[in-house]
Amino acid sequence: MTESTTIPRRHFIVGAAGTVYAGAAIAAGTGSAAADDAALPDYVAWKEPDAFIQHSPKTLETKRREIGSLLTPNDVLFVRNNLPSLTAEQVGEPSAWSVAIEGVANPKSMTVAELQGLDVTQVASVLQCSGNGRGFFDHETSGSQWLTGAAGNVMWTGVPVKSVVEALGGVAGAKSFMTGTGGEILPEGLDPLTLMVERSVPIEAHEQAILAWALNGEPLPLAHGGPLRLVVPGYYGVNNVKHVKRLAFTEEETQAKIQQSGYRMREVGAKGAPDQPSMFKMNVKSWVTHPLADASSGRTLINGVALGGTETLSKIEVSTDGGSSWAEARFEGPDLGPYAWRPFVIAADLPAGTHRIASRATTVSGAVQPEDFPPNHRGYGHNGWSAHAVDVTVS
Amino acid sequence: MKRISGRRRAALSIIAISMAAVFSAATASADESGRQIFLEGGGGMPGCAVCHTLSDAGSDGDIGPNLDLMKPDKARVRIAVYDGVGVMPAFGEFLSEAEIDAVADYVAGTAGE
Repeated sequence: MTESTTIPRRHFIVGAAGTVYAGAAIAAGTGSAAADDAALPDYVAWKEPDAFIQHSPKTLETKRREIGSLLTPNDVLFVRNNLPSLTAEQVGEPSAWSVAIEGVANPKSMTVAELQGLDVTQVASVLQCSGNGRGFFDHETSGSQWLTGAAGNVMWTGVPVKSVVEALGGVAGAKSFMTGTGGEILPEGLDPLTLMVERSVPIEAHEQAILAWALNGEPLPLAHGGPLRLVVPGYYGVNNVKHVKRLAFTEEETQAKIQQSGYRMREVGAKGAPDQPSMFKMNVKSWVTHPLADASSGRTLINGVALGGTETLSKIEVSTDGGSSWAEARFEGPDLGPYAWRPFVIAADLPAGTHRIASRATTVSGAVQPEDFPPNHRGYGHNGWSAHAVDVTVS
Repeated sequence: MKRISGRRRAALSIIAISMAAVFSAATASADESGRQIFLEGGGGMPGCAVCHTLSDAGSDGDIGPNLDLMKPDKARVRIAVYDGVGVMPAFGEFLSEAEIDAVADYVAGTAGE
């Protein structure tokens, strides 16, 4: 099966071996060295090499056809690390890893073992980079030219942050944010705020947040933030702080650059600033995962995935004529909650020729995936159904 | 076509050679300033070497991408310096256009060499 897309002029396409190369940057002259045939870096050597487009050693995009159905297996889950992952040597005994809980009545450092003895829950949520779909924008953008594969749907196991807060006497005073700090090692000679991964999210997000130690039932791999990661279901990936060392309830957002000027939605050409919307909640989105280029005549099952961000989905529609007409598709498999994606399927009997297949999701509150998503400086948040459509040729 | 005398041809050649020499000197100078910015930074921006590996500069930073492996072209370096990438801050306001050009030329011209 080859893959194709309707991607605009900045992109290229397809290989006989079923490869979508990350050509956006090359076509735009921005020189991505992305390739999909290189060996994986050591820290992710346990992953499935054929499942990825490598934008760089720290950025691996899952190929569109490989993201799984209900859950995305660990060995094909995308990787986007802002800083190098900690090594096993740096982490030491995982159960002894500790996180400082601050901004509560009784601040305390707690080890993973202590957290595991406090409470446990599981939550399914979509992990998605803010820049997923960046490669669909026409304007030139900095960063990996992700198309659909900086996303996966995974099952986290951990302790509810709410349970931790209750155990430590509740949030102390009036606080507006929950701030997580990563334990990555920073280079000397730099103001830590320049590089540290420290993110603040609105405090209400702590109601569904967990401190996770397992991913799809396995110990949380270091490449995904083990031994402990702050998971904020429904929020973009950057807010899910890896190797979390500190969890604080704070009056203000962190002063770290990654919060103050990074991950801010703004017009093309504008500089990042704290008064612009931060990349918090994910928006409604869907895309087709099969077929992607070719299909035989007769009955074809069209598959894909749809997510509502923080909301339950009410409807998923599919078009085989580029959006002129739509038919309601069926969600497939169990509903894993508002933060998970739902696979969908619809059977179509497509005549010979080329068909533009698109999908469009709607949430219970009526949020609908738009046809196009407005350009923004850093290429965040693209959920336009038109750019995510695929051209399929039926023989 | 107007005929050019032997003397004028010689003069033009000299001008051409001189221009090449000037251009070459300018390039070398840009390379040098680009290398210096890469190593030491400027205008409050830390040196790129703190975080990036680039063999020509003798740097082995492992925070950001290894530039010898990435082999970015000039446009990619420019936009990364201007806008940042992920945790890499935007350094557009720290450097002049000429400085950004110089460091972009330097990295694009030496990465992977």
